[in-house]
Amino acid sequence: LEVSLASKLKIKVNGLVHSVTASLDTPLLYVLHNELRLHGPRFGCGLAQCGACSVLLDGKEIRSCVTPVAAVSGKAITTLEGLPAMWSSSRGTTAASPAALHPLQQAWIDEQVFQCGYCQNGMIIQAADLLTTVKRPTEDQIRTALNGHLCRCGTNIRIIRAVQRAAAVMTKGGK
Amino acid sequence: MSEFQKERHFSRKRFVKAGGALIVGLSLGGPTASAGAKGVAGYQPPLGPYGPDVSQLDTWLAIHADNTVTLYTGIIPLGTGSITGVLQIAADELDVPFSAMRVVTADTSRTADQFVSSGSRAISSHGVPIRQAAAEARAFLVNLASTTLGLPVAELTVTDGVVSGGGKSTTYGQLLGDKLFNAQITGKAKAKTPADYKIVGTSVPRIDIPGKAAGTHTFVQNIRLPGMVHGRVVRPPASGATLLKVKGFKKAIPGAQIVRKGDWLGVVAPREYDAIQASLMVDAVWSDWSGLPPIASLEKAIREAPLYNPAEHPNDLRPGQAFPSSPISLNTGNVDAALAAAAKKLSITYTTPYHSHGSIGPSCGVAMWQGNQLTVWSASQTPYGTREAIAKFFGLPNNNVRLISVEGSGCYGQNGSDDATLDAAIMAQAVGKPVRVQYMRWDEFGWENYKSARVFDMNGGIDANGRVVAWKSESWGFTGYGRPEFHEPAHGGEPGSLISAQLTGWSGAEVEEGQGGGAPTPGNYSVPNAWSKFNYLGAPSPRRGALRIKTGSMRTVNGYDNTFASESLFDELAALAGIDAVQFRLNHMTNPRTIAALRAAADTAGWQYRPSPNPNRQGRVLSGRGVSVSGTVASVFEVTVDTKTGKITVPRITTAIDAGQHVNPDMIASQVEGAVTQGISRVIREQVTWNASGITSRDWVTYPILRMTDTPRAINVVLLPHQDLPSSGVGEPPQNGVGAGVANAVFDATAVRMRSTPLSPPRVRAMLKAAGVA
Repeated sequence: LEVSLASKLKIKVNGLVHSVTASLDTPLLYVLHNELRLHGPRFGCGLAQCGACSVLLDGKEIRSCVTPVAAVSGKAITTLEGLPAMWSSSRGTTAASPAALHPLQQAWIDEQVFQCGYCQNGMIIQAADLLTTVKRPTEDQIRTALNGHLCRCGTNIRIIRAVQRAAAVMTKGGK
Repeated sequence: MSEFQKERHFSRKRFVKAGGALIVGLSLGGPTASAGAKGVAGYQPPLGPYGPDVSQLDTWLAIHADNTVTLYTGIIPLGTGSITGVLQIAADELDVPFSAMRVVTADTSRTADQFVSSGSRAISSHGVPIRQAAAEARAFLVNLASTTLGLPVAELTVTDGVVSGGGKSTTYGQLLGDKLFNAQITGKAKAKTPADYKIVGTSVPRIDIPGKAAGTHTFVQNIRLPGMVHGRVVRPPASGATLLKVKGFKKAIPGAQIVRKGDWLGVVAPREYDAIQASLMVDAVWSDWSGLPPIASLEKAIREAPLYNPAEHPNDLRPGQAFPSSPISLNTGNVDAALAAAAKKLSITYTTPYHSHGSIGPSCGVAMWQGNQLTVWSASQTPYGTREAIAKFFGLPNNNVRLISVEGSGCYGQNGSDDATLDAAIMAQAVGKPVRVQYMRWDEFGWENYKSARVFDMNGGIDANGRVVAWKSESWGFTGYGRPEFHEPAHGGEPGSLISAQLTGWSGAEVEEGQGGGAPTPGNYSVPNAWSKFNYLGAPSPRRGALRIKTGSMRTVNGYDNTFASESLFDELAALAGIDAVQFRLNHMTNPRTIAALRAAADTAGWQYRPSPNPNRQGRVLSGRGVSVSGTVASVFEVTVDTKTGKITVPRITTAIDAGQHVNPDMIASQVEGAVTQGISRVIREQVTWNASGITSRDWVTYPILRMTDTPRAINVVLLPHQDLPSSGVGEPPQNGVGAGVANAVFDATAVRMRSTPLSPPRVRAMLKAAGVA
């Protein structure tokens, strides 16, 4: 007999190791939302089609709705909430200082990107992945990188502008 | 058509054989235990069946000792920014800085019933009583200051909540901090004149955005309660199937329970992923059903569907409401004689498909029972209507149910929020614990309040001078409504319009409020002979009606469809006359605001005045431009068409909008961009599909929407404010003309008319091929 027994697991999220109880095949999303009470990654489709649930796994964007929690053990997960600390530490400053937002988050505010905002978690997470490898992406590179994420409010144009704005800020090492 | 993904991912888990599945029946009762909401100022207004008394100032505003102000509004946050907008209006009237404003949005235990947050009315309609309340509050506070300071009102000024005069001053907080106004709204306080606005008309950043950026914002999907468990619905496998038997679970799932009421089936489990698994592992026997017509014969099915007969739905109207006495909504001149005498004429059928709202986050509701008191957390657009519908469903007085609005994923009309709220309440009652229900992607897409498909028979005639002399429209469609709520001035809601209630066997009234919103008209154009008839086909659902696809209101209601027909026809008439499409429209316009919008859009877009189609139609990829006008919004669309693949790209759009008083210009621009972008998606991508048994467009592969790589390169928004005029809506009007504008641009590019959407690559290719272009 095989049961979906809950196991005690340790996962590292936003710099902290958390002990959680979940069956090994539980998608990471439900652990982040229900056990760790994070609001950044959100359920959109459960099918890796829309990107609302995206998080960074060792810096690369993944879909937490289809990633079993067992698969992330020993790896570092960063959610939308963890981007400010990630940005601080990438610049060698202390993560504890109450958070200047990540330049992407600030750019999303400055460009007033959000309408409902449900999808924007994934857009920002994917953009964070992009900007670690491509410092000053072209508009087409941004479009391509974000093509697996869906926005229904139609904020697409502002999203592109916000990524460009953040890229400019980040290549100057912050504001 | 690829099959939507359901089993592939979610059924991979293996389980042991079922132990005893617990099937919980429904029952009412239990001890009463509920606490009313405490307002920010500690005030709980007396509640009628539709909330606090709207004529009391304390219903709307509270002044705090720290000189901040709380606005209580029955509007719900939809992601449009309108909460920020009404706060601007209130702050300006009160003469307090915007930063002093706090807000409590719709909560049936605290805020006024502001009916439905829909129809682009948050500012234009719901902002009106807020402005008046704020003006009354300011007058009240200045009077109080007059007494306190011993100075006549005329000698007092207010700046940033500080009342000054004669070298003395006091603050709102000192005058009334955390005390009640105890005052009626008299209607006598005079609101400011627009010239005195300091905050209205400026692009104040939205209050919800910092939290959304940081990840601290709470959506209804994020609501958690102590002891809360997770629910999922189990919808019938076929739209009209009935539930014959529930045997239990096929495999054991820890703590999972089944809840059944008629054909309504749900599961509850302590862990969310277990609830999902449980929903797939219910061993239920359903009847077969296959009553939907083939998609290919949809137009025929719509034409043949029986008309809605009000006599068969005696409870669908409230006293004082009436259906239109005739399906003919417009009849001027003699259209048939004018058509017969026209120099040139057209007779054309346009069709539009069903659309899904396509919220990125599937709908969610959270419910908690305390005795016979129910509290629900909901993203419903009709907080009071849905509250009453739920109360009726459980046989309770309105005030035994409290609905607290929490923002959900953008809804663009009536998505599944109302149903999910009722689902949560049913499950929470059955299992005796708070329940959070979120739909799965296939539940949301599969059991929607779809925008009705429509069929339009359009006729137009021009005289020898190229003037439109006859305009005739006959159209068919299902309801544009389906909400559990009557629009103002009536209050109240009925569960009968909710699919969740229908599945339980609820057979009470549904709600109808007219005939689906009506038919196309010549709108902005002066046409001497015009006639329009709308064949209203009622409000079907999977459980009833001739064509069992549930319809409801989606952004623009029918504006997108009606404008597709009317602005396509007008464009065809322009081409028939050999006159430039912008000039032809201007020739028939009289409203200076519309004319200004069209000229602004054309000028900004660099419109080249010439008849369509584009004389240069060489090569594989053709380009063109089109125009459409709706109300005081005009847009120019530039397209390219790959004649080999049928792929349409819309690189640049220019939209000019006159929305009267513009409260927040950047939010208006944002709404225009979003409306247009979503509109492009609707015209080039979207179409609900089905087989004989039910909806098949149930994920993002089978219901594709616009992606980033297909996003326009530029959307130029030209704002034409009239600060001295009332505000008009901005969320919907810019979307009305998108379908027609794109189709008109495709005609300009290819000389082929696109009279049926979506303009998806295979369909465009087929239409081009049929016309000999590809």
